[in-house]
Amino acid sequence: MTGYRLPTGGRIDRATPFKVRFDGRSYSAFAGDSLASALLANGVQLFGRSFKYHRPRGIVGSGSEEPNALISVTRGPGRFTPNLRATNVEVYPGFEAESQNRWPSLRFDFGAINDRLGMFFPAGFYNKTFMWPRSFWERLYEPAIRRMAGLGKSPTEEDPDHYSATYAHCDVLIIGAGPAGIDAALEAASSNQRVILIDEQDEAGGGALADPALWPWLARSMKALAGMPNVTILTRTTAFGYFHDNFIGAVERMTDHLADIGSGPREKLWRIRAGEVVLAQGAIERPLVFDGNDTPGVMLSSAAKVFALRYGVAVGRSVALMASHDSGWQDVFAMAKAGVGIAAIIDVRDEVDADLRAQAEELGIAVRLGQSVIGVRGRHGVTAIEIARNDGGASSTLACDAVLMAGGWTPTVHLWSHSKGTLAWHDDLGAFVPDVPAEKARCVGACAGLWNFGQGLTIDALPTPKDKARIKAFVDFQNDVTAKDIRLAVREGFRSIEHIKRYTTNGMATDQGKTSNLNGLQIASTALSRPVTDIGLTTFRPPYTPQTFGALAGHAKGSLFQPTRKTNIDGWAEENGAVFELVAQWRRARYFPKAGEDMLAAVNRECRMVRSSVGIFDASTLGKIEVVGPDAAEFLNRMYTNPWKALEPGRCRYGLLLKEDGFIADDGVSARLAPDRFHLTTTTGGAARVLNMMEDYLQTEWPDLNVWLTSTTEQYAVIALQGPNARKVLEPLVEGIDLSAEAFPHMAIREGLICGIPTRLFRVSFTGELGFEINVPSAYGRALWERIMAEGARYDITPYGTEAMHVLRAEKGFIIVGQDTDGTVTPFDAGLDWAVGKKKPDFVGKRSLARPDLVASGRKQLVGLLTEDPNHVLEEGAQIVADPKQPIPMTMIGHVTSSYWSETLGRSIALALVADGHHKMGEDLFIPMPGKTHVAKVSSMIFYDAEGARLNV
Amino acid sequence: MSEALVRSDPIPAGPFLGRDASLKAAPRLARYVLRARASAAVEKVLGAQIPTAIGGFANGVACLGPDEWLMFASDGRESPVDESGSVSVTEVSDRSVGIILEGARAAEILATGCPLDLDHFAVGRATRTIYETVEIVIVREAMDRFHIEVWRSFAPWLWTALTTAATE
Repeated sequence: MTGYRLPTGGRIDRATPFKVRFDGRSYSAFAGDSLASALLANGVQLFGRSFKYHRPRGIVGSGSEEPNALISVTRGPGRFTPNLRATNVEVYPGFEAESQNRWPSLRFDFGAINDRLGMFFPAGFYNKTFMWPRSFWERLYEPAIRRMAGLGKSPTEEDPDHYSATYAHCDVLIIGAGPAGIDAALEAASSNQRVILIDEQDEAGGGALADPALWPWLARSMKALAGMPNVTILTRTTAFGYFHDNFIGAVERMTDHLADIGSGPREKLWRIRAGEVVLAQGAIERPLVFDGNDTPGVMLSSAAKVFALRYGVAVGRSVALMASHDSGWQDVFAMAKAGVGIAAIIDVRDEVDADLRAQAEELGIAVRLGQSVIGVRGRHGVTAIEIARNDGGASSTLACDAVLMAGGWTPTVHLWSHSKGTLAWHDDLGAFVPDVPAEKARCVGACAGLWNFGQGLTIDALPTPKDKARIKAFVDFQNDVTAKDIRLAVREGFRSIEHIKRYTTNGMATDQGKTSNLNGLQIASTALSRPVTDIGLTTFRPPYTPQTFGALAGHAKGSLFQPTRKTNIDGWAEENGAVFELVAQWRRARYFPKAGEDMLAAVNRECRMVRSSVGIFDASTLGKIEVVGPDAAEFLNRMYTNPWKALEPGRCRYGLLLKEDGFIADDGVSARLAPDRFHLTTTTGGAARVLNMMEDYLQTEWPDLNVWLTSTTEQYAVIALQGPNARKVLEPLVEGIDLSAEAFPHMAIREGLICGIPTRLFRVSFTGELGFEINVPSAYGRALWERIMAEGARYDITPYGTEAMHVLRAEKGFIIVGQDTDGTVTPFDAGLDWAVGKKKPDFVGKRSLARPDLVASGRKQLVGLLTEDPNHVLEEGAQIVADPKQPIPMTMIGHVTSSYWSETLGRSIALALVADGHHKMGEDLFIPMPGKTHVAKVSSMIFYDAEGARLNV
Repeated sequence: MSEALVRSDPIPAGPFLGRDASLKAAPRLARYVLRARASAAVEKVLGAQIPTAIGGFANGVACLGPDEWLMFASDGRESPVDESGSVSVTEVSDRSVGIILEGARAAEILATGCPLDLDHFAVGRATRTIYETVEIVIVREAMDRFHIEVWRSFAPWLWTALTTAATE
């Protein structure tokens, strides 16, 4: 035997040896090894430090149940993955990993002082100790605790990998490819159903991988399944969550096990909808609770068998078994036959099946019945154990280098519980077993409690003559919870297992109680003198094992994170140096700086040109809804605050939309194209919301109306042409529309041709200047824009962005819903009384407008603000007070909603929501800012051309 | 008047060749949304039979909802006209663009972001669905060919998503 590698056996490829590195040291490994099996083969027992006490820890399990051996894998910049279980990590040539939660090194860890002081850190210690003074929490306690207690470090670099995702459907989804799962798959597949079989390990087989007698059957079965076109086999795939309607989330690890990861996706998220789910997740062996049971070298008996028979590794040269269940005996028999040295079998039971005793004798293994391990010697690895008879009497010492725990079995019901399937307690198994399904699902094999592991005794902790208050008998290895912590929680008055869990942290976090739940429950049950069924079981939550954020994000990173919507004209803006901003998902040109211009200079120029000549603006993102049907006008009359029925075809109207609560939801100008057809516009961000709201009313409140809504936002590119020269630019391009002021007044719509393309031409203005909004089929947007730019060159036509648009509209006191309103502003608050039809019998929100709070005085109302210093531009969001000399905290009576430099007026302007603002006209208000308090006079919201002379030309 | 305006589309004409699948822009089409309480009224307007079951597709018309049809026609066709007031006709020719996804892996590629069970989505069916967060309409033209309709501004994102999936 070289090191701890058995001379023969296992499924590893002994012809492919290579080196791996752990904590900077080099170790030999074979293809097919896990990091755990490779290091164990090299005699490594110490894998990590525990979460709270920093106690040295080794391997406990052989798969995803492993609570201790959390390690970090490094494979180049950005490819650092913490908190992987060494038992689940496949190694490859050049593999590199490090241990966690230790400083400066794994063997000498400064934090281990916590262990010596352990008696000062009982359950609930953090809750009790760090309560006071409160101000210390953020600055001192939390950072300190975070440093000391912890899992691996978070990666700090951007993840260079990419991830894949898919949906999948099947008739039968089988989770777990052990013997029971494979049998279920063969059965389902033979009836021609679509079958998906998934397993978290690198190869299918589950428990059969550690049973060479089953290998021929395994190879035969997998070959049969692989040959069936209706079967998909996914290995290295973890079903992490079971959601409603048989929807299962699973992550397939595609490259983590490869020496060369290539360029393919690292992981793939499978979103599977299954007709039926068969859970074949197996069972996890239960540790035994005794003093020192967390010493490296103490592990599950089943895990030791896996290491011996699957990986060809002896977990020790002289291995003792501590059993309360027959299965441990079978494990050591198989291990003994494979060449592992067995020191003794200790069983807590007085009587054990005669057949097992006979086999032990045949193999020459010493047996001690009615005895228990009461202590473990060795700090970084087991050197000996103390054993005592359960009925008292002297203890003895047995030299050994590994201790196996066989405490019975716990069905893996995590996914079953995610699906809300119920559990039933089985006294004979000492376990909760799946009972009534909540989905179309069933459990097979050990997961259903159907196992052939023999008999066992269910006990909360091994008997010990020692003072139970002074020993460290661990229940939850990952969260450092001992039996006495759980007893303390019970003494302090916790009765529900959910409370005990949170007080002690038993079964929390990444581990989800895989090895600890049942032991914790038994201990609480004994301490409370009540049956376990009265105490209940804690809730299992997804994910079953931790998953990467990358896998959950799937394709949604970089340019695929979310769609960036661009208009047909966006490309022109980009080529002409626009600076963009995002408005909802749309990318919009904010301003078009010329060489040497900053934003203010560009916006000032753009505003000047609109007011003095003509500006061109891409308004394509405005939401558009076509409302068609005989009842179209009636419908709009009910939706909007103002009257719509009398609007003549060819005319436009400003529409104000409230929610049921009477607050402003959206606004926009809409046109009547024909008696039964309207072209609505909404705000850019409100398009989908308004359509949904209208559709909702139509379907649920007024299904009798003959009217239909169609989103036409993307059907049209919209070019706004604004400024005194707008008509002159347009005239040569338009056919069939008389553009004269008499024939085509403000707030009208005409249909005709522009550059030969059909257009819906609006005469509207959001700037206060003569203006047109040209709607053409989207694909022509850019070509038309370029044609208008060429036509307007003689007027110095100037493209302007959203920032200049904001300034121009603010000069006119036009609000922007969502900026000047915040969901608590009524039409009256916003000074839009004129847009509310007083004589209308009803409209959405009308009734709420009469509520006492909405007509009370003192509501915040929208007003203009003019700063005393005309050059100072207030900050949007700045708070407003009536008296700057009042003591802090001051009474804030409002805030600034919009604030700009107005190039037109040569001074700053602002809009603000101010309590009772409409009655404060001409009053001075104060805006305290760091270093200076600004004074501003309340004014009308209309700062420019109040009479509208520039519009009606 | 100078020469006619040139159309510009948000995705390349293609084809993009992936592994066992290709993507290309569909030819230019006229599109209309037709809404009515009764399919008979729509049939009268069109002078043709239309599907009445949701998910059906016939004569270039997809039934997307109990009172909703999406009509595809060759470019240049006159708009259907309703004089009875019982059918709403809205032109949406430029609202969306079409992508043709074709090849042995077509369904597999669509399934990377579409939650439908495409094994049960027969040739000749049409439906509104999603690809991840983006609304699409799909028509299965053959076992290995889908016509995918997507609103214009979402098209570049969808094109990138599908071509990415097609190369994986």
